[in-house]
Amino acid sequence: MIARWLPGSTLRIPLLTGLGILSVFILLSSLFLLAIGQSPLTIFSSMLEAAFGDDYAWSETLVKTTPILFCALAVALPAKLGLISVGGEGQLHLGALVGTGILLLWPDGPGWLLLPLVLLGGAVGGAIWGGIPGWLRARWTVNETLSTLMLNYVGMQWVRFVVYGPWKDPANLGWPATIQFPATAKLPFLAGSRVHGGLFIAVGMALLLYVLYRWSRWGLSLRIMQSNPPLAMQVGLKYPFHVLLVMALAGSLAGLAGITETAMIQGRLQVGISNGFGLSGFLVAWLAGNSLLGVIPMSLLIGGILAAGDALQLFAKLPSSVAIVLQGILFVSVLCVGSDASLLMLGNKHMGDKVR
Amino acid sequence: MHIHLTGIHKRFGSTLANDGVDLEIRPGQVLALLGENGAGKSTLMKILYGFYTLDQGQIEIDGQPMVMHSPRAAIAHGIGMVFQQFNLIPALTVLENLLLAYPKSPWWHWGNHHLQAKVLARLRDLAPDLDPGLRVDQLAVGQQQLLELIKVLNLEARCIILDEPTSVLTPTEAERLWGLIRQLAQQGRAVVLITHKLEDVAACADRVVVMRAGKVVHQRDLSNPDRGSLSPMLKADLIEMMMGHEVTAALPRTSPLDTGSPLLQVRGLYLQDPATGMSLSDINLEIQPGEILGLAGVAGNGQPLLAEALAGIRSLHAGEILVQGQPLHPGSLVRSQVAYIPENPLQHGVAPDLDLATNLALHQVRTLPFWPRWRRQINRATVLLHDFDVRPPHPHKVASQLSGGNLQKLIIARELSGDPLLIVACYPTMGLDAAATQAVYEHLFRHAQQGSAVLWISEELDDLMRYAHRVAVISKGHIVGIQATPQASRQQLGRWMAGVAG
Repeated sequence: MIARWLPGSTLRIPLLTGLGILSVFILLSSLFLLAIGQSPLTIFSSMLEAAFGDDYAWSETLVKTTPILFCALAVALPAKLGLISVGGEGQLHLGALVGTGILLLWPDGPGWLLLPLVLLGGAVGGAIWGGIPGWLRARWTVNETLSTLMLNYVGMQWVRFVVYGPWKDPANLGWPATIQFPATAKLPFLAGSRVHGGLFIAVGMALLLYVLYRWSRWGLSLRIMQSNPPLAMQVGLKYPFHVLLVMALAGSLAGLAGITETAMIQGRLQVGISNGFGLSGFLVAWLAGNSLLGVIPMSLLIGGILAAGDALQLFAKLPSSVAIVLQGILFVSVLCVGSDASLLMLGNKHMGDKVR
Repeated sequence: MHIHLTGIHKRFGSTLANDGVDLEIRPGQVLALLGENGAGKSTLMKILYGFYTLDQGQIEIDGQPMVMHSPRAAIAHGIGMVFQQFNLIPALTVLENLLLAYPKSPWWHWGNHHLQAKVLARLRDLAPDLDPGLRVDQLAVGQQQLLELIKVLNLEARCIILDEPTSVLTPTEAERLWGLIRQLAQQGRAVVLITHKLEDVAACADRVVVMRAGKVVHQRDLSNPDRGSLSPMLKADLIEMMMGHEVTAALPRTSPLDTGSPLLQVRGLYLQDPATGMSLSDINLEIQPGEILGLAGVAGNGQPLLAEALAGIRSLHAGEILVQGQPLHPGSLVRSQVAYIPENPLQHGVAPDLDLATNLALHQVRTLPFWPRWRRQINRATVLLHDFDVRPPHPHKVASQLSGGNLQKLIIARELSGDPLLIVACYPTMGLDAAATQAVYEHLFRHAQQGSAVLWISEELDDLMRYAHRVAVISKGHIVGIQATPQASRQQLGRWMAGVAG
């Protein structure tokens, strides 16, 4: 809103909500850890250690954060038009597919041209996979949640098809994967770690989208269209066009997650490039209340939990699914405390003072 | 059951919704409580139903004074109410909904065959064609309403209140409901029918009570021959009493400019709204620069649809609208010169969860630079809010937090702060107090004075006759007649509004 940035908004409710979520989360996850025979205190502290304890822990956390942040943006942006996209997973796969396809077309192109083309391919692939449900929604009012959900499976199967079939590298001795990405098609890494330039693109995108949403005329149009679509049409805003645009943009972000993860981390296109990043991204966007800035710290948090889960598996001999359970408990805690009903109870006085 | 309400007072904030109302509800009779929106009829009945507590006054049932703390108490005394908004569970079947609402019906009654048989018998009795196994979300609106009515009857209600029941019904459904209402009265129940439609009164009422501005202004018994067809005289009388004579300080009357060529021309307009089924047929109108054309009519005869068409936000099926000779349609350039004050401003006029500065800048949204200068927008908004007396005058307030009157002023500030050629105002003073009404009139008339053409849709017949230069009457989507005002006859307008030709 135009004047929201002026001083005067209250922090009381977000703070209370945050504390509530934290206490419910600690309570529920302690119960869970006790139930599987672990000491909550030990596990919590070793998880904290494994996620943020030293340089290596941080780097692994940031590696996980990158695709999650892209996928969270791919959910938060459509939410600005009131659209619920769960298509991050499929868009991520399509991005990986098209980006890899460009590499296969021209494997020995010069880095200054190949790298941007591969990234662009990733963005375009994701944009197509986001644009299809966007167009269906804009033209035929097909529910975008269902169509994005369905297209996830289609996207994953496409990747499966190419790596088992036409794109399989014979040098792999039957292992279903494409050729390796050459160094020319990779973004730079951060000082000897696995953290790559994709992180900076993702954070940059979050900031850019935030600034656009907050300050530009485009952002204003989105807010008007979300608040009252018929009125927005009356003042000449093209709602269907923006639905398509926003869904395609969101898809391109998830597509970038796919191509950067494939090129930088996996090194080649294969089945299972995602690790559920699309769904984690949905969770992050939801936790952050679809705030374009809020998804940055939230992605870091969820990235940390996932990285810690990997570490738990190695050191505490716990299955890494513990981390997934904890992630689920976090989601449940937010649902319990952060839902509209409990917000209303906390903020009754605040929300009740309508001006008469 | 014989109910007497005496001296009922009820105040909401600064508005007096019921101002010393006396009402008698007799058993075996259908009482039509007639009045315009906001006349206080629903409030009065919600007091009887225990939904609101009264400020002053007394409720007597069969001579016993009663206090209605809650709807539960009212139900215990045999009073039932069917609201405009239904209270059904769409995912459950007809039978399940009925069982749920049965008195003292927890979930274990599911297997209670005796109870089911009882409920089914009543269902067969009142609505033989309603399949108890159908899910409620598969029912038509009329059937859902029937279900609500049966729920109330299952509570053994002896006095049944229906709030605007026919406003959502098709004509066939309405006829069926009227028959059912007669049947209930013949069984000795008291029925109160809250309505603003004369058809309802004509079809099934034994007695009519007219309310206006929180008071009972008229009551009369209708003899049997009246029913079915009210005499045109009686209809015109009732409408006149519903509309009433608002007392506001007189504003100077403006006069149209004499330029010879009309500013607005509407020729042979046909339009149907698929959502509501409402249609406009063969509308022909002309408005001169500086002229105020009043549009009167009973609510629900196509006024908002006509307003939307003339505001250029509807595509016509036939005919044309010309503003200064240029065609007006959703894509046309001249639309930016049309000011539109819609009915129900919160829904049609603002982006409710955006701030006032944004809402005031809505029409500029496509012409603003890509990086708008927000500071300038806020300053502009501050000035407008002050000039149009919107309270509170804070540009960062969210629109949905404004009261109805201030919301209306906000829209007027947005629409009338420029120099529109044509102004379409649909019930611009609905729900406003006298001072706010006065302010709206001043803005409308100022623009007329400066040469705008004004189409003014209103239920305030007196004000239309006082300030509009001509009054047109719309009935069933058709302009029935137009009269120039100082000489216009109320009786003639009333007859036209009642749908009587000639």
